[in-house]
Parts: sequence; C-alpha cells; structure tokens
Amino acid sequence: VVLTFLRRATEEEQQAQSKKALKKQQKEAEKAAKKAEKQAKLVSMFWVCCLTSGAPFQLVLYRALVKVEDLTLEKVDQLLWVRARVHTSRAKGKQCFLVLRQQQFNVQALVAVGDRASKQMVKFAANITKESIVDVEAVVRRVEQKIESCSQQDIELHIERIFVISQAEPRLPLQLDDAVRPDGEGEEEGRATVNQDTRLDNRVIDLRTTTSQAIFRLQSGVCQLFRDTLTKKGFVEIQTPKIISAASEGGANVFTVSYFKTSAYLAQSPQLYKQMCICADFDKVFCVGPVFRAEDSNTHRHLTEFVGLDIEMAFNYHYHEVIDSITDTMVQIFKGLRDNFQTEIQTVNKQFPSEPFKFLEPTLRLEFQEAVAMLREAGVEMGDEEDLSTPNEKLLGRLVKEKYDTDFYVLDKYPLAVRPFYTMPDPNNPKYSNSYDMFMRGEEILSGAQRVHDAELLTERALHHQIDLEKIKAYIDSFRYGAPPHGGGGIGLERVCMLYLGLHNVRQTSMFPRDPKRLTP
Amino acid sequence: MPMYQVKPVCGGHIEVDLPTCMYKLPNIHAQDGNGSVSDHALQNGEVDPAVKALEARQDEIMRKLYELKAAVEGLAKTVTTPDADLDLTVSSSLCSQSPTNTAFQSPADLESLLGKDLGALRDIVINANPAEPPLTLFVLHGLLCQRYRVLSSVHVHSSIPRVPSQLLSCLGPRHADSYARQLFQLGFTLIWKNVPKLQMKFSIQNMCSIEGEANVARFLFKLLSVYPSDPALATLVDSWVDTAFFQLAEGGPKERATVLRALNSALGRTPWVAGSDFSLADIACFCCMQKCISASSAPANVQRWLKSCENLGHFSPAKLFQ
Repeated sequence: VVLTFLRRATEEEQQAQSKKALKKQQKEAEKAAKKAEKQAKLVSMFWVCCLTSGAPFQLVLYRALVKVEDLTLEKVDQLLWVRARVHTSRAKGKQCFLVLRQQQFNVQALVAVGDRASKQMVKFAANITKESIVDVEAVVRRVEQKIESCSQQDIELHIERIFVISQAEPRLPLQLDDAVRPDGEGEEEGRATVNQDTRLDNRVIDLRTTTSQAIFRLQSGVCQLFRDTLTKKGFVEIQTPKIISAASEGGANVFTVSYFKTSAYLAQSPQLYKQMCICADFDKVFCVGPVFRAEDSNTHRHLTEFVGLDIEMAFNYHYHEVIDSITDTMVQIFKGLRDNFQTEIQTVNKQFPSEPFKFLEPTLRLEFQEAVAMLREAGVEMGDEEDLSTPNEKLLGRLVKEKYDTDFYVLDKYPLAVRPFYTMPDPNNPKYSNSYDMFMRGEEILSGAQRVHDAELLTERALHHQIDLEKIKAYIDSFRYGAPPHGGGGIGLERVCMLYLGLHNVRQTSMFPRDPKRLTP
Repeated sequence: MPMYQVKPVCGGHIEVDLPTCMYKLPNIHAQDGNGSVSDHALQNGEVDPAVKALEARQDEIMRKLYELKAAVEGLAKTVTTPDADLDLTVSSSLCSQSPTNTAFQSPADLESLLGKDLGALRDIVINANPAEPPLTLFVLHGLLCQRYRVLSSVHVHSSIPRVPSQLLSCLGPRHADSYARQLFQLGFTLIWKNVPKLQMKFSIQNMCSIEGEANVARFLFKLLSVYPSDPALATLVDSWVDTAFFQLAEGGPKERATVLRALNSALGRTPWVAGSDFSLADIACFCCMQKCISASSAPANVQRWLKSCENLGHFSPAKLFQ
C-alpha cells in the first residue's frame, strides 16, 4: 500500500512538474520564434566570413572600395564601401563608435540602432577585436566639429553594413596607440610606451603604426631619388656578387659561409667589383644591395646587415670631380625629400621631434687640417695625423653647424696613415691622401677616396700595410691592363634615413634589423 | 655790195676746246679692279717691300695714337678724380702713426687683425638674404681680393628653394686653385639664406656673430686699411656709414632728400665724403644710393662724386645689380 501511495505521489509530482515544464517550454518556443523572425530579417547585415575554409564569398565579387585617404567633404552623402582595420571600437548605449585605419589615415565610423542597424549589430560591432580587417558599407556624413584625433577630420561614416574579413586575436602583444606615443608624453601622463625590443619582436604589428609607415615610405623615396639622380647623370646600375672568395676590407669583420667543400665569405662591400667594372670601361656605376659586416658592436648606428648604396666613377683630371658628383647626388636627394615628403617628415616628427635637416648647395667642403684647427680651437688635443674619434666627429659637426648652419658637409684630405691600402696618396703632400668622409648631423655616412689604379703602386701600398699579396692577387691583376683613374664611396640607406629624420637608433629605419643579438624576424 | 648773202648755219661764236693730247692710251701700269693697290703695284704685280714697310709704320703710328688717346683719357679721369689711396702705408692723418700701422702688405697683417694662424684657412662666413644683396660687401670683397689671396665661394642654404643665377656668380669666377684650400690666406664664404638680417660669423669660440651690413662692412674694411687715427675724423666716417645704411637705404623719400642735401654740401667742401681721403663712408654711400637713387636726379656735387667713384673701378661689382 505504501508503495502505491508513493508511486501516485511521484506521478502527481511528475504531472505538476511536466505542466510547469510545458509552460516553460512554450514560452521558450515563443521567444525563439520571435528571435528567429528578427534574425531572419537582419541575418544578412553582419557576419564573420571564414575565408580560410575556402568558402567562396556569397556577395557580389566586384565592388569599388574607397581609400580612407580619399574620404573628404567631396564625398558627403555618398554610399560607398571601405576596407580598413578596426583601430578602436567602443559602445555607448545604442551607438558604437569605431575608428577605422588604413596605413597613415584614419576615420571615425558610427553604428547606431535604427532602421538600418539592429541592437545585435551594434553589439557585434563593439565586439570586433582590434586590428581586424573589415568591409564597411556606409554613408559619408559631414561633422559639425572637427575630429581632432583622426586624419580625416571633416567627415564620419554612418555604417549600414559591416563584415569582418579577417579577425584578429583578442590579445595583441602591443597596442598601436602606445607604440605611437612620444616617449616624453608617456612619462608625463603615466601612459605606456612600447620599448624597442618589444617592437622588434612583434615587427609586423609595429610596422602598422603611422610613424613606421612614414619612415619606410621616406626610405623608399631615398632609394628612388638615388637611382633617378644617378641615372640622369649617366650612371649604370650593376649587381655585384655577395658570396666572395676573399675578404674585401679587412679580415676580422667578415661572415664565413660553407661553400660546398670549402668556405666562402659574405661581401663586406662591393668595392672590388665596382672597381673591376670601372676597369671594364663602364665609366660610372652604382649598385644597391646588402652589405654584411660581422662587427660585434651593439651601438645605435651599427647593423650586421644593411643596404649599401655604392658609387664608383672614373674621372678626367682631378678626384674632386668625384666629390662634386657624389655631393650633388646627396643634395638632390635632400631636395627631393624636402619638396615631396613633407607629410612623412611631419608624421615622424610628431613622435620623434627633431630639427629639420639643413644643407648648402654646393656642399661645403672643409679640409682635414681645418677640422683639426677648429677642434684645437675648441680645446681638443689631437695630433696632425690622428683619425677623428666619434666624440670628436660629433663635436666637429656641432662646430660646423654653428658656423655654417649645415648638417651635411665633406671633410677632404685625410691623413694617409688612417686609410685603407687602396687609397691614393696626395701627390703634393705624402702625409695626406686623396680621401674624404661625408657627415650628416655630425655622424659619418660615407667614406670614400680616389683609388690606386696602378698595379705597381698598389702592390707597394699593400706591402706597406703588411697585407698578404696572395689573397688580393685577383684584385691587383684587374689593374694591369689599363685602368682609368677613379674614385667613389658608399652610404648606408638606413643610416642616411635615420640621420635625415633625426632619429636616434638605426633599428628604427631598418625593417627587420640584424645585429649581434637579433636574428629574427 | 656782196653778191650773195648766205644765212649763217650755226649761230654765235662757239669756243672750241682744242685738246693738248692727240691720242690717249690706257695706263699699262694699272691693275684691274683694285683701286688703292693699283698705285703700289709694280709691273709684275708684286707689292714693293718699301711700300709695305711704309704701310706697317703707318699702322703702328695709328695704334700708338689710339693708345695715347686712351692714356690721356685715363689721366684726365684721374686728374678730375680726387686721390683715393687705400694703402696701409699711406695714412691720411697728420698725427703720429703707431709702429704697427707702418706694417707693409704682408700676411702678418692678418695675424694681428684676426688672431693666431692655426694652420687652417681663415674663413669668413656671411649669411645674406637674396632679397637684399649686400652691395658694399661685394665691393669690399673685390678690394680684399686685390690685397690678399682670397678663396671665395657662394652657397645656397636649404631654407631657400632657388636663387637667380646672377647672385650665384656675384663673387666672380671660381679660382683655379680652389681645390687646395690651404693655399689661401682668407676665405670669403657667402651663403644665401632666409635670414632677417645680414649676419657674419668668423671664429665660433672667440666671436659672436656680427649683424647688419654696416657692421660687417666695418669689419671687412679694417682688414684693408685703418680708419683714420684722428678720432673726430673716424667718428665722421662712422656717422656717414650709419647715415648711408639707415637713412639712405631704408629711409623714406624725405629722409633721402635730406641726406642728399647734406652729401651735396659736404662734397662741396671736400673731394670725398669724409674728408680728403677715400674711406668706408664713400663705399657705403655709393652702394646705398645704387638701390634707390638714379644718378641723374642727384645734385651737382653728388653727381661729380659719383663719377669719381665709378672712375676708381672698385665699384664694378655693385654696378652689376643696378
């Protein structure tokens, strides 16, 4: 009897339970139906496209995308498509504000609940992770007050449709806003700035900042101007081998690679091959290529691999023709940067303020003796034939800047004792040589000279420097069959950009820098 | 009574000119075509060497005559132009000269004036605005080049996009030895720059920069010649220099007219502006007048003085910019 009673109780309970459950189920079903209805209306407004799975786009394939740079007052009230990155997104009640960024330009965008956008869409937009790439269909609207924080200050986008093309992971290794903040400002306001190692480890994201974009566009401009100026002067571009059999400059700072059964070296400079081209009657040559120096110095201006822009030319009567040619090329580069890259220079200056670069045309040329006199006048003690140390070079740069107001000058007639063996001695004064250095902002960027083009004299100079003749036999042989008098020099692209912009570390101007401690990315 | 009377066929009494020469033959010595040479040709067509010599002597005499004429014209100019000697050894004042002033033109001058030689080119750097070319400095540069071995160079600073070509060649052609800077005693570097006021820099350690064309002109003039050692005269020179730069060059038309009147009366008394010797005051007044006043509108004494200045030949660099 007890058992049946119990069974009946549970049955009743079950019945009661099932009634509640039924009601609950019904309610949920209604809700779901409503939701499904709404969803069905708005499902086409936003979704995440998964391109990695290979699923084809379901939308129209050809669509004109407008660049953020071109979003100006001219386009007000137009409906257009933009592809950009989400720089920031924040929701405020029924609205979501996004900043969309494309290289150096950014624009404010707005998703507001209305007949074109639903609440889910606003929420969706607010949750898009930073740095994701989105396609946006929007109307361009004028704004009352200028948006100071964006590059496109007069307009904003009112979004009607938004699609995520490529989603970024939510945790970024560094924040772009921090990466662009000037160091001083960071300390003052207690906000974060990003230190160099973090930037270099996550170079892909660091390169997206406006400053990095500006720096590397300017660097591309330098290379372009270099090529254009020299081609106009009648130079021929050559490519020289980088795997060579003998060290070109000196034995110590060279990388060795295994070469089948023997070993070979990575070229420290294209010196030998430039000169061979001159002996092969190319008259004026230049080459742009990597240079490998195995110097174990961790300074602000040394890299183990950098891009070398090298010039070599035969001259008619005096090696000053070479100096004039090189300085004119540099002045044309500076003029080109001054006239065409002001936007980039200003962008870099926002984060790294510096004095604008000044130069004279024609370039100022001082002699080594004058420099020694100027340094002695300033209180430095040095010998007549002593090479300039780095602090002395910087001091000399400041003295020249004060007297002549130029950041770029040439120092001519270095003492013979401090130059390599292939430098031509000065015919009028055996203590000095026909060699020169060029300085930007007090730091050396080019070391050049007239080369010895006579095999006998070259052998004599090499013996004087106690160099093994066997190792440079091929080099000396190239001058045996008629070599014109020639000279030249080479600059480092990264160093020139760094000094032109007034930056303090060459790693900022090298995309993926190499130094004794860094081999990747 | 005559039987028949015939009317005369020809009327009147006609004078008949009877020739003295029966036949005329052409001159066998004459040559066809050459009018003047025909007189000198011999029978076989060659010119007589004696005649040639005569011709040569005639040409020589004509040439000498022309030279003489030019020399006399030059002399006439110098006679009408008052004496203008900038030599250090010839000092205008009647006061006793200090021993250092009798030093001759030698590099030692520069040591005493500019400081110890440190083995490098003494480079004077002048920053000027191309909108206002400093004419006095061009004139002084010309005088300096006559006195010392000067390495001149012209540069354009990056603050100025372009400069007219005459401003690039204002210091004359490039010196043949300009590849070796240490062969020169003095450097004169002119930089066209966007500066509000003309500026000169020489020794960074010991001197601040000198501003204003008048002051730089005074500095450069002292490398050439002393100011008169009589203080009153020296002050007069200085005052004329200031008048020239502030009132002639920068003043309104009324101020200029006043200065011209003062100049006229001063030049009525003395051959040069500040007395009987050529001085910086003359250079300053001449150059400042070039920009604003035309020679024909100046009073008589001033015109005479302007002519004398031009006759000196120092002012040709300034004339280029008129």
